[in-house]
Order: sequence, then C-alpha cells, then structure tokens
Amino acid sequence: MSGCALFLRRAATAARACPALVALSASRRPLSTSRPSRAFAKELFLGKIEKKRVFPFPEVSQDELNEINQFVGPVEKFFNEEVDSQKIDREGKIPDDTLEKLKSLGLFGMQVPEEYGGLGLSNTMYARLGEIISLDGSITVTLAAHQAIGLKGIILVGTEEQKANYLPRLASGEHMAAFCLTEPASGSDAASIQTRATLSEDKKHYILNGSKVWITNGGLANIFTVFAKTEVVDSDGSVKDKMTAFIVERDFGGVTNGKPEDKLGIRGSNTCEVHFENTKVPVENVLGEVGGGFKVAMNILNSGRFSMGSAVAGMLKKLIELTADYACTRKQFNKRLSEFGLIQEKFALMAQKAYVMESMAYLTAGMLDQPELPDCSVEAAMVKVFSSESAWQCVSEALQILGGSGYMKDYPYERMLRDARILLIFEGTNEILRMFIALTGLQHAGRILTERIHELKRGNVTTIMETVGRRIRDSLGRTMDLGLTGNLGVVHPSLGESANKLEENVYYFGRTVENLLLRFGKTIVEEQLVLKRVANVLINLYGMVAVLSRASRSIRIGLRNHDHEILLANMFCTEAYVQNLFSLSQLDKDAPENLDEQIKKVSREILEQRTYICAHPLERTS
Amino acid sequence: MSWVQAILLARGLSRGWGGICGAALTGAPFSQVLPQALRGLHCSTATHNSEMSLVPHPPEPPKKPIKAPAPHEELFRQEPGGERDKASFVRAVQNFGQYNVRKRGHVDFIYLALRKMREYGVERDLTVYNLLLDIFPKEVFRPRSVIQRIFLHYPRQQECGIAVLEQMENHGVMPNKETEFLLIQIFGRKSYPMLKYLRMRLWLTRFKNINPFPVPRDLPQDPVDLAKLGLRHIEPDLSARITVYQMPLSDDLTGTEDPIQPHIVGIQSPDQQAALAHHNPARPVFVEGPFSLWLRSKCVYYHILRADLLPPEERKVEKIPEEWNLYYPMQLDLDYGRSGWDDYEFDIDEVEEGPIFAMCMAGAHDQATLAKWIQGLQETNPALAQIPVIFRLAGSTGELLTSSGLEEPPRPLCEVQEEDDDHRKQQQQGRS
Repeated sequence: MSGCALFLRRAATAARACPALVALSASRRPLSTSRPSRAFAKELFLGKIEKKRVFPFPEVSQDELNEINQFVGPVEKFFNEEVDSQKIDREGKIPDDTLEKLKSLGLFGMQVPEEYGGLGLSNTMYARLGEIISLDGSITVTLAAHQAIGLKGIILVGTEEQKANYLPRLASGEHMAAFCLTEPASGSDAASIQTRATLSEDKKHYILNGSKVWITNGGLANIFTVFAKTEVVDSDGSVKDKMTAFIVERDFGGVTNGKPEDKLGIRGSNTCEVHFENTKVPVENVLGEVGGGFKVAMNILNSGRFSMGSAVAGMLKKLIELTADYACTRKQFNKRLSEFGLIQEKFALMAQKAYVMESMAYLTAGMLDQPELPDCSVEAAMVKVFSSESAWQCVSEALQILGGSGYMKDYPYERMLRDARILLIFEGTNEILRMFIALTGLQHAGRILTERIHELKRGNVTTIMETVGRRIRDSLGRTMDLGLTGNLGVVHPSLGESANKLEENVYYFGRTVENLLLRFGKTIVEEQLVLKRVANVLINLYGMVAVLSRASRSIRIGLRNHDHEILLANMFCTEAYVQNLFSLSQLDKDAPENLDEQIKKVSREILEQRTYICAHPLERTS
Repeated sequence: MSWVQAILLARGLSRGWGGICGAALTGAPFSQVLPQALRGLHCSTATHNSEMSLVPHPPEPPKKPIKAPAPHEELFRQEPGGERDKASFVRAVQNFGQYNVRKRGHVDFIYLALRKMREYGVERDLTVYNLLLDIFPKEVFRPRSVIQRIFLHYPRQQECGIAVLEQMENHGVMPNKETEFLLIQIFGRKSYPMLKYLRMRLWLTRFKNINPFPVPRDLPQDPVDLAKLGLRHIEPDLSARITVYQMPLSDDLTGTEDPIQPHIVGIQSPDQQAALAHHNPARPVFVEGPFSLWLRSKCVYYHILRADLLPPEERKVEKIPEEWNLYYPMQLDLDYGRSGWDDYEFDIDEVEEGPIFAMCMAGAHDQATLAKWIQGLQETNPALAQIPVIFRLAGSTGELLTSSGLEEPPRPLCEVQEEDDDHRKQQQQGRS
C-alpha cells in the first residue's frame, strides 16, 4: 500500500519535471516495487547506477516551498543585519540577545516534530535553512551541536515520555543540548571510553562518573547526551562492558565544566570539558537500550552529516558575492582584477564547487526525505567530505583574490578561513569518513560478489573465460550504456557527453572494485591508500550524478540561467572524469602511477627516526 | 697485436686490478722482495700492494729486541716539559724541511711521522696530512715519457704517498682539494696515489655514514653519561625513558678504585612498562647479564629484565572488539582473503623470544646492586612487586666485582667454565 502511495507521489513529482518521464516511471515502477530499492552509492560499487533513486532530482511541493520561503526571509534578514560575526569571533561568545533572537525564530528546534513545539522541518528544509545560518560559523556550530547531534538521540530513539519531557524545552531553546562522546583517550575508539555508569543498589539510578572533552555547548547546555560504559549481562551469561547512552540534566548534580577552550576558528562557540562526578541518572533516562549506545551514537553521527553541504554552499555563495564586488572594483595596471584570467579562474572554481555541493546536499536531503527511510549514511559522508574540502580550498582562493587585504583582520576572509578549517576535522575527520565510504561500499559489493570470486578462485573455467573475455572487450574500448542517455534517457541531451563519461567511469569503477576484492579480499581494510582512492572516485561519481540530475531538471523545467548550470555541470564532469581515470589507473596492480610503496617507505624511514632525515643541503663530506 | 698495445693493456690491467692482486699477494714472500730488488730501476712492474704499503706497526718487541733508532728520530725527541700536540708536530715537520733543504730521506721521515701522529693526537687532522704530503719534492716524480707512465714510476715514493692516504683512510679522514692538488703536483694525474685518492673520494663518502646507529667519536668520560649513551644505543623505542636509579658515590678514603655506591642507570619504554603491567605474576621474571656492548674502544655491560615466552595455551588472542570504531568497520564480513598474487609476505620462520621489560647498566654486576635496580623499577611498575624476580648472572659474582672499571672486560671464560657457571647459576637462583 505504501509502495503505491509512493508511486503516486513520485509520479506526480515527475509529471511536473518532465512529461516524458511519466511514461518512463509509469512503465518501470510496477516491476520494481516488489524489490526494495537499494541505496544508491552502494550500487555504484557494482558498476550500476540505481537511476530511480537519483533521477529526477528531488523536488519539494509548492506549498512546502512557500512555507520555507516564509522562514528564510526573516532569518536571512536577521543574519545580514543583526549578527556581527566579527564581534562574536573577537569576544569568543555569542551575545545573549542574538541567542534569544535565534530562539524566537525557532532555530533551536528545526527538526523537532511539530507536536513537541519544533518546526518539524524535513531534511530538505533543514538544509535550506542551514544555508543561511552558515553565514556565521560559530552560530552554525552551536546550533548544529544542539540539534544535529545534541538532541538528535531523543528524536531518533527516545521513548514517548522522554520526547514529551525534553523536546519542547529544547525546541524552544529554553534548554540547550550537548553531545558528550569524546574523551581524552577516545576519539573514534569506542572501546577506550572510560566514563562509567553503574547501577545503584535500588536499581533506580545509574551513577555516572567520568570526563568528556571538547564538548560543544558544554558550558551552556542543560541537557547532555552522554555515552558511558555499563555492565551488561550477555546472552550467554557473561558480563560485558557495553556502551549506553543517557540523557543527563545538569540539575542531576555533579555536572561541572571547564573553562572554554581557546580555538583557532569558530571562536564564538562554546567548547569545554564536561565532568560528571557521581551524577545520579534515573533509569528512565537511558536512551535506547542499555548496552545499545554504540548504535545510538553511530546513528546520530551518521544522520547529521548531510547538512554540511548546503551550509558550505550558502557560505560560498556569500563569499562569491563579496569577492566579486572586490574584483570588479579594484584596478591594477588600468585593468580590473576581474579581467585577469587567473582571477577569473578562481571564480569559476568557487561557482563550480558551490554548484556541485549544493546538488549533492539537496539530492541527499531529498533521498533522506523519502518515506521508505533509506540508509543514506554513505551519501551523507560523501557530501561532508566534498563540501568540507571544497570549503577550505575556496575560502583560501577567495582570500587570495583579496591578496594582502584578505590576510587582515579587518576583512572577514581570515575568519572564514579559520572557521572553515574545523569542517575537515569534526563530525568524523575526512580521513575516517573516506574509510567509512570505501569500506561500507566494499562490504556490500563483497557480499554480492562472493559467489563469483569463489568460482574464480576455485578455477571455474566458465567464469574465468567470461572474465577474460570481458577484460578483452573492455580493453578494446567499448561505449558503456547504462541507460542515462538516448531516447529513454533521464539526462538531457546537452549533458549527454558528461553522462557518457559518468557511465564509463561507473562501469570501470565496478570492474576495479571487483578486481580489488579479488586481490585483497577482507584484508583490504589494511590498504588505506587503496581505500582512499576508492572513496575519492566514489565522491566524484556521486558529484557527477548529482549535477547531471540537477542540471537536467533545470533544463527541463526551464529554470533561470540553466545554460550556466550546464556549463558548470559539464565542466565538473570532465574534471572529475579525468581525476577518476587517474585514480582508477592507480588502483591497477603495478601501475606506474601508483607510488604507494615509495610513500610507505618514506614515511617508515621518517617515523623510525621521528625526524626529517635528509642531510642539510649545505653539508659536505670533506 | 703490437707490443705497445700489449704493454698498454698490461698497464691498464695492473692499474685496474692492482688492489685485488695486491690483496692476493699479501703475505707472499716474493712480493716483499720484488719491489726492493727493482727499486733502483724506477720502472718496477710490481703491482701496487695496499697491505704492503701500510705503515709497519711500530712496536713489535719479539721480533726486534733491540731497535735501532730510526733516522730523523731526533726531530721528534721530546724536549723536557714540552707538550705533545699539533703545534710541536708541525714544528718537527717544519724543522725537517729547514735542516734538510734537499729533502734527503724524506720517505723515511714521512713513514716515521705517520707512526708518530697518534702520539701527538693529530691522526685525524687533515691539514697535518697535507703538510706531510707537502714534504715530497714537487714535479720530480711525475712521469715524463710514455714508458715512465706505463710502468710504476718511483715506486717507493708512490708507496709512501699511498701510505699517507691509507692512514687517512683508516682514521676516516676525507682528503680535500688541497690533497688532490698536492698529489697531482708530486706524482702527476695518472699515478697510484692519485688513483687511491679518487677511490677514497668515492668510497669514503659512502662508508662514512653507512652505520645506521652512529656512535659519537668522543665518548663521554662520566660512566653515567656513557651508560645513558649505551642504553639509548640498544633501545630502539625513542619514547623510552632513562632513569638514573643511583648516582655513583665514591668513598673518599679508599679513592675511586672501590666505589661504595655504583651507578645504576636504567631504560624502559612505555610499551615495556605496559607489558610488565600485564605480566602474569605467577611466572617469574629474570635479571640476566652482564652482556657486553662495544662503543668504539670501550666496552660496557648491561643487564636485562626479561620473561620466558608464554606457552601457546596461555597466550591471549587479540580479538577485534565488536563495537570498536564509531565511524567505519574495522573488519569486513567476507570469507575470502588476499590472493597469492598480492601476498608479499615472505615465509619466514621467526624465532619467538620472551619479552624484555627493562634494561640497565650498573657500575657493579652483583646481585645487591641489581636488586636496587629492581627496587627502583617497582616505583614506576607497581606490578613488579608481585612478580618473583630471579637473578641469573653469568660468571661468579666475585670475579665481576673485582673488575671495577668499565673498560676492563670480565675475564674470558672458556667453554668448560661456562658449563660450570650454568650449574652454579641454577643453584644461585633465588627470589628477590
């Protein structure tokens, strides 16, 4: 029944997008409803494009759009007129009246369901608002720590009582939330968490003891989501230490926090240590199951990432405005800066990155908003990696356009640069997320390919012949057709070439993944340099899919400046295609482009001595 | 083939293979005689012999009971109260030039000076070597005709020149441009000293840094500093911490000969500390030693604290915890592994040894001193208090106690004694 409803909804969406598509989806949909649709990114690992997940580009209804525009207007006005980012950065504190205004705008409960007093925004709407909030890094981080991770646990796994008890106060901003996971000895290593919760004798309370570091909002929050080790009796009767999540109120007693940390960027956000000393937490405040904290933490972390894409895009759009103003007024050698090729290049770069990450972010948000609740954690992680790295690159380029002025505190660029640096670190460092992206996909592909690989290893003649034959055909170079272009294609013809490039990349990526699994099997976990490349290719592929989907939609419904979008999309696809080809060739065994062995040796030699070991260039032997 | 070609070939061969032939000929009696017989001819075909041209080691008492004074010995005679240093050495060399304008007997003098260098402490000084080379008359020994160039021209002088370079090489002194200039002036570009020079330029640089664990040239005199250096030298972990458990205290009455409190310096890395903390207290740990370590010309002795390898049934298998990494899977749930093509692991039978928990260097090698070390270790390793410690010290303690200085190696034990010691060791085993 729900599948049918979905079909209607999707069809309605598609009908607006393109009449031709209605026929297409109508003809295909009934066949595929029986099979649960798979996560898009994971299918890429098999060399397939799960078209109906990403084409057409997700849309919101007109009502929703009107609703969100009502929100956007006042928020944008507030951020442009009343928020003084320079002052926040200088004083290391968000002024109280600014916080009050944020609360009154409802920004503390954007994703809290409406029945609990929040705005109940969908992921897409949340991303849209994030674009505006990102005009100030400190406020973004404060709000994200409050609702993207701080209270997310309650929304995701909280009981009805917990929701009713906490969400209204949190949504109104009366209470602030914080997420307490990191410890001095435990970053992403859950096994080394030292904070401990022991059940009291009357079995009504847990006694919580331990310290958490780098807690955003740690000094301001009243409600903490705390992860601690508890003793759990396993199914086989043995007692084990397992992680459990708790909702801890500051009023429970024994909660103290250190003084705010002095940071490089996002200086207005409050980051400090939080200590729990014999804090009595009622058993009702266990979040999720006892011993199920690990899953809770993972879900919270995975769910919050996609919004970084739109936030960074919002920041970049503002950045383009600011720098373009400068480039068009500043004159050197009787020419405007905007007339110099090297300056123009930087604008093209910023626009392209903004376009791609925006497409990726809204595509992911759209996927997340689908009623079947798909697992989009890989996609979200890709958005996070791409947007954080682009942010760093673009802010740096923007600063470069300004030259010396950009380096001065009078201009916002140095602050934006400092603020942007944290994006590569928090919510899982980009290195860790690359591992996540690659390994999750490889796990999926590895399971499906198990049979094939076993046959190849056993020496099944048919399978081997088939593989060899396919390799020969591949090496002769054939055009891949995964159904993106052509008469029934979902991509607009003006993007046809880019779509072909994507198809070729996807096909060879699938081959490469199979090859890698054949070569490394489960030991691929140790090949981090290989995994990094797999993740990079996948991020590029996802970016290509997102821009193709979005640009196609823009052409079909005739959005303003869609020719500009085509330019950007084609540009990105060509660049990504070349990068992918290079990465894929590096993934071949014994490829001359592959410098892994040298890289490992150099670092080993350095790390053995813990110093730079080359002799000084001025050194002599006699 | 004309005879000229043949001779050219012979010359090339002798030059290229000189080193090898020389080494092969070492010790053969005729090679000693031959050059001397041909010396007057100035066209000796004897190949250059590196061993032969070495400076003969001066004191060989059994062979020459009464040593005739070498010529020019008086130049190095010590005036009363005079210091033996670079200045006086240079003065002696300059005096030779002054009193002997025709440089008669300069080869003998150079050999003598080479022998004396160590006494004056200038054996590593490049300028002194250049000064010695400068004694040779210039341009005289340069071959002038084709015939001279083919055969060894002025062999004795060339050998002497090689001896100078050889001694430089032995002391690791790299010749410089000035050396090259002098050699060209004296012997010409195509001469054996020049060949030696070129080889030194090539190889000395390569060999100079070949030791991945370099030892400083001047070792510290203080036994504690020396022990620190030695321990750092053995310990591969750079995070290891050196602790001085006891500073040496010497009894003023008896002098430095018999220190009442020998120094104890220990080293332990964090990993070793963690391993000791997890050690099963039911299994004893051993203090073993002394083992020798040579640092240049000094020998130091160290002791180790170690345990036996755990029997396989007691070893804990490292299991990947189920809920470990919050961000990505630490292992893939697949039932196939690495293919043979990508398995670069060599099949090596590794000898597994028990863990070593700490090392120390002490002024004395007796059980009392080492027990103090163990006491000191207990402060940072509380677990050690519960573990029985067995002392397995090689050699009888009495012997080792008499060797008070670090420089003195313990008396070499013959095979039988070692057997004996093993029995005694077992008897000596006791709990700390």
